[in-house]
Amino acid sequence: MPSWAEFQPYIVTGLALGGLYALSGVGLVVLYRATGVLNLAFGAVGAMGAFIAYSLIQAGDPGWVAWITCIVFGGVVTLGYGMVFGPALAGRGPLVQSISTLGLALVLFGVIDLAWPTTGGQSPSISFPTDNGGFSVGQLQVNWTQVIALALGVAITVGTAAFLRFSKLGTAMRAMANDREITATLGVPIRRVEAAAWLGCGLLAGIAGIMLADLSALDDTTLTFTVVISSLAAALIGQLRSIPVTFAAAIVIGLVHDLITPITQISNYQDMTPFVLAAIALLVMSRGQVLSRSREEG
Amino acid sequence: MIDTAGPKAPAASSRPPVLDRRSLTRFAVIAVLLLLAIFALPPLMSGYYTDTMTQVAIYSIVTLGLGLLVGRVGLYSLGQLAVLMIGAWVGARLLFATSQPYILVLIEAGLVTAIIGSLITLPALRLRGLYLALITLMLAGGVIVVAATLNFPNGGGGFSGYNGALLHIPAIRRPSYAGTDPAFYRFSVIVAIVMFLLVYAHLRTRPGRNWAAIKQSEPAALAAGINTTYYKLWALALSAFVTGVAGALLAGADRELFSIDFPIQNSITLLAVVLMGGAFSLAGAVIAAFLQAFLPALLQNWGVPNDWLIILFGIGVMQVLATAPGGIADQFPKDMKRLYRLISRLWRRPEAGIQAGAGGVSGAAGVSGGDGA
Repeated sequence: MPSWAEFQPYIVTGLALGGLYALSGVGLVVLYRATGVLNLAFGAVGAMGAFIAYSLIQAGDPGWVAWITCIVFGGVVTLGYGMVFGPALAGRGPLVQSISTLGLALVLFGVIDLAWPTTGGQSPSISFPTDNGGFSVGQLQVNWTQVIALALGVAITVGTAAFLRFSKLGTAMRAMANDREITATLGVPIRRVEAAAWLGCGLLAGIAGIMLADLSALDDTTLTFTVVISSLAAALIGQLRSIPVTFAAAIVIGLVHDLITPITQISNYQDMTPFVLAAIALLVMSRGQVLSRSREEG
Repeated sequence: MIDTAGPKAPAASSRPPVLDRRSLTRFAVIAVLLLLAIFALPPLMSGYYTDTMTQVAIYSIVTLGLGLLVGRVGLYSLGQLAVLMIGAWVGARLLFATSQPYILVLIEAGLVTAIIGSLITLPALRLRGLYLALITLMLAGGVIVVAATLNFPNGGGGFSGYNGALLHIPAIRRPSYAGTDPAFYRFSVIVAIVMFLLVYAHLRTRPGRNWAAIKQSEPAALAAGINTTYYKLWALALSAFVTGVAGALLAGADRELFSIDFPIQNSITLLAVVLMGGAFSLAGAVIAAFLQAFLPALLQNWGVPNDWLIILFGIGVMQVLATAPGGIADQFPKDMKRLYRLISRLWRRPEAGIQAGAGGVSGAAGVSGGDGA
């Protein structure tokens, strides 16, 4: 067993990763609650945005232009998908709607592989100016990017919770989570509310994509699948409903994932963390569940 | 889990028990096609296409298992690639470790995979359909991690059966009667036929009826006295069994296995091709296998990057879900019928047909446009 000192650096990276998973998980939960769609293309959208940002930086554009492009790209693509396929599949239940987003994920994945082929040379990467600055707590080096990642996770979680609780649009989203038809009858413009949810989810996908490209790696498979799987696990533990639980689960997943690194016996299996945690949570939660024809039955 | 947009319930329930002329004809056509595939194709094919068609035969078993889950029970699994990997791993390990007959190994690999597969999906079974899709997606990610670390057996000792040797890796053995590529191709087709018959037998009897009931409405099935958890588990176990058999077959076909042969995006493309081929019919499984295993080989031969295929599958899955839930197996005959009607109408009444035909043509083209994929 490694000593405590060996674990310490991984607390920092784990918290940063957890913050980004939380941000992604909250994005997924909000969209799911408002529209009944679980956006499985979340990671692919972020990945493509990050690759576009990488190309812009290579072409000599200033960093902030590239970052904003990535985030806007996420918003536009996700909103576009939601506008086209949201209404077309609206009556088909969450399962079919969510499987359909896998189609978008495949398209983006294929495009990334075509446009940015993996060559033997230098692998693409993105770095922020905040990577170099930082401070130290005791022996621990903390850089600003990690701080920003965790802070963003917290801010988005708190902000979203407050938004859903207090704003008019947020109230409409919560109403739609309960019953789409009744909400429409009450005069809520549900298409517009759904569009807002898609846009928000897409913007978060862009943020998650660019941040993870820096903190983790600019690699299409990692960004497309690892991100979705980890944040999905967090959202699942939150029962696709609770934002605070999703946040906590995301932090735990990020922490456990990174804290396993020094334990050499199992460090190769660290990418299984989300699956194992989500499976355990599902096992515990499924006890005493009653079968009902609720809206989510899909 | 209630998918009202799907085509009507499996035809099994509506068909009379006695063989009528239509089903006899269908049976004859299938038999002739299979005989052609077994006896006429191998001498005609090059080595490259013999390998490819072996893969098609093997993947038709995989898509059969996934189609069973998706089309008949309404369980969307994204972890079928992981199940296939487990089957391939167990099959390869047994083939190296023992000298049992090949058929026995196939069955054992199927049984082990069935046990592992149903154990892993057990937690999600009591939950709603979406959860199963998600937990199986995570499972796919997890199993790929394990396979990358554990590696596939290559004749080493111990539990993993892997040693770091890069040279003189012994090939995974094949049965003595199917040593050559054409012979192994025939063997794979025959195994696939047996698996199709196994699933067909299930669909025609009590499990098939109960699955159909569960797919329509789980609460209603429960109320009708069906043990839904038991039958869902049965479907998962049966699907994992046939997929495990396919995995062991794949071990013999490839002769050496690497974890990079199973990229994670394939777990999604598998579901995509099953939906595109048609999850509601057994013919759809064969079409899906051609999409999954034949098209990539064809494109490689033509020098087109495989990524185009991934994009195509992505578009295909969205199109199928949005407009043609029955997939190609359901849509193609309909389009053909429509085309036939159109042509015969044009033939009979030229001037009246043109106007009606114009609308029909655009409609048919719109629906079949994505089916060409």
